[in-house]
Amino acid sequence: MKYVIIGAGVAGVEAAKVIRGQDPAGEILMVSVDTHIHSRCMLHKYIAGEREESGLDFTEKDFLNRYGVTWKNGVRAEKIRPETKEILLSNGETITYGKLLIASGADSFIPPVGELRKASNVYGLRNLSDAQAIVQEAREAQNVLVIGSGLVGLDAAYGLLERGKTITVVEMADRILPVQLDAHAAGAYQKAFEQAGTRFILSRKASQAACEADGKIHKVILDNGDEIACDLIIVAAGVRPALACLEGSGIAYDRAVTVDASMKTSAEHVYAAGDITGLSGIWPNAADQGRIAGKSMCGLPATYTDTYAMKNTINFFGLVTLCVGRVREEEGDESWVKEDHTQYKRILAKDGKVQGTLLQGDIAGAGIWQYLIKNQIDIRHIEKDIFDVSYADFYSVGEKGKYEWVS
Amino acid sequence: MKRILIEYEKCDGCKNCSAACMQAHRENPGTIYDLDLGDPKNESRNRILKDAKGQYKPLFCRHCDDPECVKSCMSGALYKDPESGHVLYDQTRCGSCFMCVMNCPFGVLKPDTVTKSKVIKCDFCADAGGDPSCVKSCPKKAIYVEEV
Amino acid sequence: MNQRYSCNTCKSADKLLEGYIAELPMETSHHRVEGQSTKCAFGLQGVCCRLCANGPCRVTPESPRGICGANADTIVVRNLLRAVASGSGCYIHVVENTARNVKNVAKTKGPIKGVSTLNRLAGLFGIEEEDIHKQAEAVADAVLQDLYLPEYEKMRLTEKLSYAPRYEKWKELGILPGGAKSEVFHGVVKCSTNLNSDPVNMLLDCLKLGISTGIYGLVLTNLLNDVVLGEPEIRLAPVGLRVIDPDYINIMITGHQHSMFTFLQDRLTDEDVKEKAKKAGAKGFKLVGCTCVGQDLQLRGAHYTEIFDGHAGNNYTSEAILATGGIDAVISEFNCTLPGIEPICDQLKIKQICIDNVAKKANAELKEFDFANRPAVTDQIIDQIVAAYQARRGSVPLNLFPEHGNADTLTGISEISLKKFFGGNWQPLIDQIVAGNIKGIAGVVGCSNLTAGGHDVLTVDLVRELIAKDILVLTAGCSSGGIENCGLMTPKAAQYAGPKLRAVCEKLGIPPVLNFGPCLAIGRLEIVATELAQALNVDLPQLPLVLSAAQWLEEQALADGCYGLALGLPLHLGLPPFVTGSKVAVQVLTEDMKGLTGGQVIINGDAKESAAILEQIILEKRQGLNI
Repeated sequence: MKYVIIGAGVAGVEAAKVIRGQDPAGEILMVSVDTHIHSRCMLHKYIAGEREESGLDFTEKDFLNRYGVTWKNGVRAEKIRPETKEILLSNGETITYGKLLIASGADSFIPPVGELRKASNVYGLRNLSDAQAIVQEAREAQNVLVIGSGLVGLDAAYGLLERGKTITVVEMADRILPVQLDAHAAGAYQKAFEQAGTRFILSRKASQAACEADGKIHKVILDNGDEIACDLIIVAAGVRPALACLEGSGIAYDRAVTVDASMKTSAEHVYAAGDITGLSGIWPNAADQGRIAGKSMCGLPATYTDTYAMKNTINFFGLVTLCVGRVREEEGDESWVKEDHTQYKRILAKDGKVQGTLLQGDIAGAGIWQYLIKNQIDIRHIEKDIFDVSYADFYSVGEKGKYEWVS
Repeated sequence: MKRILIEYEKCDGCKNCSAACMQAHRENPGTIYDLDLGDPKNESRNRILKDAKGQYKPLFCRHCDDPECVKSCMSGALYKDPESGHVLYDQTRCGSCFMCVMNCPFGVLKPDTVTKSKVIKCDFCADAGGDPSCVKSCPKKAIYVEEV
Repeated sequence: MNQRYSCNTCKSADKLLEGYIAELPMETSHHRVEGQSTKCAFGLQGVCCRLCANGPCRVTPESPRGICGANADTIVVRNLLRAVASGSGCYIHVVENTARNVKNVAKTKGPIKGVSTLNRLAGLFGIEEEDIHKQAEAVADAVLQDLYLPEYEKMRLTEKLSYAPRYEKWKELGILPGGAKSEVFHGVVKCSTNLNSDPVNMLLDCLKLGISTGIYGLVLTNLLNDVVLGEPEIRLAPVGLRVIDPDYINIMITGHQHSMFTFLQDRLTDEDVKEKAKKAGAKGFKLVGCTCVGQDLQLRGAHYTEIFDGHAGNNYTSEAILATGGIDAVISEFNCTLPGIEPICDQLKIKQICIDNVAKKANAELKEFDFANRPAVTDQIIDQIVAAYQARRGSVPLNLFPEHGNADTLTGISEISLKKFFGGNWQPLIDQIVAGNIKGIAGVVGCSNLTAGGHDVLTVDLVRELIAKDILVLTAGCSSGGIENCGLMTPKAAQYAGPKLRAVCEKLGIPPVLNFGPCLAIGRLEIVATELAQALNVDLPQLPLVLSAAQWLEEQALADGCYGLALGLPLHLGLPPFVTGSKVAVQVLTEDMKGLTGGQVIINGDAKESAAILEQIILEKRQGLNI
């Protein structure tokens, strides 16, 4: 069997590992635009100069050899033809597959504001190639404008602060990290970034941006008319699944590729995993999807069930935050807040079931919250301060010493 | 693989296991007599939790068969060692994102207290020959190693 | 994140205080409870032995004996005897200093404020001296001579200060104490490495130490202080953090030795000293009461209205008192001066002065009380405090809490003032007991700890339960501080009592909980008990009277407790005194003691259950008396 995997992100890599485990003799070909296998979650460390390209590799040593993976890198899959099981590559080559996994991820979304899409000094931050280009551009540029203050925007800001750049972040919402955090927890990061020299402009959008003679944008005008001078712009306004190769393939997609629970697309022998499925934008879930797809491709029954994706951890300047579940308080919620000079924690619950946990400053042993939220476990019977609830309250040592949850 | 088995009913909460773990992972060598018990850099990988009734529930890394921490690691720092079966941690690769902390359903993992840059994780006392110090220190034999 | 030090503070019976401490930007004991919540069971049960280099040895099913062969009973009771000996030593230190002070005052013809007490003691001791100063000196000498006797010579005042049936019982059990200091020595020797291994023999020593502690450390300390400092007079007084008046230079006093403060107290109201305060920008000086010495001042507050602002709080309230920022100096001379106050004092630039080196705090300046040189030393202390006031006020933020506590706590109660209140004899009280309007009496004494439910939690809950059962509560110790700040010692607290007790209290205008003051006043409670027994012509164990040291904290409390057991009284403890690892110790303390002295230990951490057990005992005793 010949397995082709488009994309060298975590979904593709995990799929390859699973496939090799099941099919020792099969041929595995990985095709990617990326020329380095890298963790997107660590691009800020590259921008900051803390790590080289090789330090971003998340795979085990000698991954390609160990798993017998052939890797064509620096090429793009341009077209997929399920009827003939062929893929047309950007280098003009056509390759065939027995089973195909599309795990080509997503592309940064550059909003159609002014000439952002045209300018040569505007970057998304999605791939190592983006980070490399940003570092290159930053050799000359001093004033950096970051549009969007989500995790990617702050990653970029963090990395470039380390390079001594002057950073301005523009955010539409009235606070930074609006998806992940409440205003109070976000405020702590805002303060930390400000102390490091970042300027935040909240509740504002970029409305005009024109290229100058050098093909670059040197100022952005906000919706209140304010002008921001800049030499380099990072747009962190979200991503869109990289669907270009699917055009005309007949594989069903809308905003993302449609997959069933086994990660199979509408086409026979074609699977998808990771960001291109639009199911979840976070690492553990993409990895899990890759593993499920890999099993399915080998004919094993597998379903993607652990779909819970409302979770994140944040760590800037040594201030760590964990946020799982719902951030916004709803009617009927009970809420608890505790705060001191080292931490801020908030829990939302409805009918005795935790809906959201936000812990900032101290996240030691906080893994249980995802489990409680994901599984909607009623904790009313536990006669403890809610913040003291721990695995001790669900503790059971089962077969072979494994921990099990009992409630 | 070898796993530390637990009979929580025997635990007396003396925290010998925690002191032994701190001793096993201290930066500078020394004896248990000169271990700085007040230094936050000396962190124990195990903890004694208590349930609402006050019963002690010892929390030790299970080195899971299907480890959530490894599955959520975006740097490759956490990996399941194919030989020993233990979940090991390469601090030099860690990206300090702490998704492993978020994903351990038992709340075993934690960021280091002082720098928040690495994960405090049981290594089965690999440097001491793979014989866990905590187990040796338990006066009640509430923890013991077995091949599973 | 905010300025709060940590989210984890323990509960308090006093909810206002709990909220205040939770908001503080500095660490207190209340913050540290959580971090110490995993307790080692070996320690809890008393079966960890560190008496020799082979240790620590701990008892487990696989290792039931230490390396030396000591079993759980030996290990536990050795540890207990050590604790009781230490606790006794503390109280004997206090009575020794108190007696020396009486002697010094007498020799220098200083003021004798409690002449009737002096006469009473002289009468008891058989001292026939007309001159009050000579009389006082002779009384003090008699006490000191007893304290310094060797262990093999019985103290002479024991019989004179004991109720005859008790004295006979003690003689029969062979537990009449020799010289009190020597008894401590004897106890310490006995429980050292590879000496005594007989748990019952050592438990009898605990009782012996209880007797010397009780009669000398407790009863005599009170009476000797009354001689010099004045006798308690019943009155209403303010309590809680509200007593801190920021217009004054405020000195928080902590400890157990009121006699060490008298000279300073008087000096602080002298015009030349008040002038120093005024020059510094204050209206004058105030003493803010904390722990037992604060209770002692409150008790005798009628004599010190100008200088004493009121009692602010007990042991685990001391950090909060300092955190108000309104305190300029701490003068301490004994426990319960928590080490935890030191960083707070540093942070808030509060001057710490110790006047007894047994309680020297690390950050404090040692200005040992020196009777001969007291004018000079006192003036030095005053100058340092004025300097501290000038250095800190204005730069240190105030975080006062004037809403805390209450303005009308009934205080000044002693065996004398209460009897006077009842018309000069105990008959009115006895009548109420016989009629069943007062079902019985509970002495709720001792400390506060933070682990029996939280600060004062078990104590206050238990008191509420007891008074609701028409049991009159008498208090002494830090328990008083907690109960008074919770409002149970104001006359309107009568509403919380059961209907019969409430009617008695409302008729008399008193609360259902009567505050005898410091832990030393456990001695006063026992005088009351003895006089009631005398009036009824019964022995103490027959009285419908129980003791509870619900939140005992310290080794001293254990020595007190042994006195209670020697007196034959039921003694309730919220937490076991690290003895449950020994079946023998538990059997003797909770059961066999009934046959020895008539006393018994009851260990229960639940207020409702404890109150029910104590009520049952009271009912049985009433039945025994046919009432």
